[in-house]
Amino acid sequence: MEPIASKVNVNHRRYVLIVDDEEINRQMLGFIVGSEYDVMYAENGRQALEILRANSYRISLVLLDILMPEMDGRELLDILRSDSELHRIPVIVLTAEKDAEIESLRLGAVDFIPKPYDMPDVIMARVRRSIKLAEDNSLLSATEQDSMTGLYNKGFLYVYADMHGRLNPDMDMDAVAIDINRLHIVNDLYGRAYGDQVIRRLAGRIKRYADEHGGYAGRSDGEFYLYIPHTDDCDALLEELGKDLRLNDDDIQITLRMGIYQNADRSTGMEACFDRAENACKTVRNTYASSYSFYDSKMHEKELYDEQLLGEVDTALAEGQFKVYFQPKYNIRGGRPVLSSAEALVRWIHPALGFISPGAFIPLFEKNGLILKLDKYVWKKSAEQMRIWKEKYGVVIPVSVNISRMDIYEPGLEDEIRSIAAAEGIANDAFLLEITESAYTDNSDHIISVVNSLRSSGFRIEMDDFGSGYSSLSMLASLPVDVLKIDMAFVRNITTSEKDYRMIRLMIEVAGFMGMTTVAEGVETKEQLDLLKQAGCDVIQGYYFSKPVPPDEFEQFIEKEMEESKNADS
Amino acid sequence: MLTVDALREYGADVDTGLARCMNNEAFYLRMVEIVIGDDKLGALKEALDARDFKRGFELAHAMKGACGNLSLTPVFRPVCEISDGLRAEKDMDYTALYDEAVTQFEKLKKLAE
Repeated sequence: MEPIASKVNVNHRRYVLIVDDEEINRQMLGFIVGSEYDVMYAENGRQALEILRANSYRISLVLLDILMPEMDGRELLDILRSDSELHRIPVIVLTAEKDAEIESLRLGAVDFIPKPYDMPDVIMARVRRSIKLAEDNSLLSATEQDSMTGLYNKGFLYVYADMHGRLNPDMDMDAVAIDINRLHIVNDLYGRAYGDQVIRRLAGRIKRYADEHGGYAGRSDGEFYLYIPHTDDCDALLEELGKDLRLNDDDIQITLRMGIYQNADRSTGMEACFDRAENACKTVRNTYASSYSFYDSKMHEKELYDEQLLGEVDTALAEGQFKVYFQPKYNIRGGRPVLSSAEALVRWIHPALGFISPGAFIPLFEKNGLILKLDKYVWKKSAEQMRIWKEKYGVVIPVSVNISRMDIYEPGLEDEIRSIAAAEGIANDAFLLEITESAYTDNSDHIISVVNSLRSSGFRIEMDDFGSGYSSLSMLASLPVDVLKIDMAFVRNITTSEKDYRMIRLMIEVAGFMGMTTVAEGVETKEQLDLLKQAGCDVIQGYYFSKPVPPDEFEQFIEKEMEESKNADS
Repeated sequence: MLTVDALREYGADVDTGLARCMNNEAFYLRMVEIVIGDDKLGALKEALDARDFKRGFELAHAMKGACGNLSLTPVFRPVCEISDGLRAEKDMDYTALYDEAVTQFEKLKKLAE
């Protein structure tokens, strides 16, 4: 179970449970609500109660029909209102009966939606409002403590730790982050209630340790924190906290991992101190025995390295250290694969550090906003390259470029890309704009309006990494997308996992139904290509054809394609 | 094949039904197909014959909801009357209404053939 405050602050997709015995009603409502929320369904009150008990902290709202077999809406409302845990979940009643409206409000529903569902916009507004009101209430009552364990929330832990530092400036303190290993397995094996008891047991020990040693204990986002006077005996600390956390002797062992930032440098701020402890915690690999790891010089070096990269971005951009590589994409619908487009991928070739992997700098840039500069650079270089190829070969090779989550919030985005294309004499539809699937789930309304506007200017939109996030296939219907790019993970397993293959087939089928083109990336073998072709995939990208290459090397693909298409014609 | 034009001609208030499906025609038609595939009229007849008003009401009410949401007016009308009568436990002859519901439902089914 997660603390309420963490639920309301994070930018996650919320779940709405729709309870109605009539399939049409469930589906129609799900279709409307599914554009913004993840949806769960139940056919009657009894089924709904089971789902609610198993997912109490995930569900943000219940849409409840009144007249149903087994257990009707009234009975369920009654149970919910008197349940200590479930009473916080707001319920909107669905009803065609005037009398039921007042009655359901009396029973504790926060609102009602009249049947039939005349105005989807109004329904969405009521759903949003009810969730917001309930969350605001929870936030107010959550105040400074984690609701489940009574430990401080992270924010309050920082405040107390800071205060402690001011009163005891010479005392060496350790920041510690603690996690339960494989808690999900414990929950799966013995149920969530068992897992919750383990969490409370551990919380009790952490609190006692903090009290006895003059420190502070906290919990946020499922992780525990200790701020304690420095100890050299970390084995003893781990032993004291982790000893026999299981509830019965025959149950599986429950182990901890702990990250310790010793003698924390408070000048960096409490948040940074606990970030370091958390980073150390993440490096603990063995999850079958309790163990710990220190924040050390290597991690410190990584921080410094990151800082160095961030500090050199402007110079790197000015000096052209970033190189745009192109990976070809082939259309496989016909008899022979036909070069159809390319994806632009950035590389950093640093004069002193050499080749820097995009994995090392892109997440870093995304974190602090520098990605905006880099993306623009890549758009410009790509357009320039398209123009060069057009002049040299008389053909336009469409290029996919990345649009980061942050770009979407830039007010001048559309003008920017439009003017880049215009400056090079490239038509807008030669630009394929890749937006990652997870960006769609952040703020669907905003992104949909941005994307609609880009599409109306002629740009084509690719949804990148589809299947890696939380979208459902049904969501596709409401998203303005031209191309669906299937996440590499599915392609990787396609030859070994029947399930992944079926999943890909389904995605392709649904995408086709919506008039979208499908692209599979990360294709490395002939076997994968054949299966994708069989599944009806349109376009393939991956090492099977080529790795990303510099523009001059890419030209061999254009020349080969021109040659082959000439031969095919003659 | 089921089309919105055929449904319109049949008497369904397609525009209203579509608006409830966020104007997604494919989704709307899929929903209508579900209604066609989920024929509750046989069970309703059994309930009416057995004078099991409670069961009859559950069935008529469910059909009313589905047809109402999709604005399948010709079926919705008789089913709605049956549902309202059974809710009030009116001991009346439902034959004419039931027959009308069957006729309209059959017509609807034909559209999907």
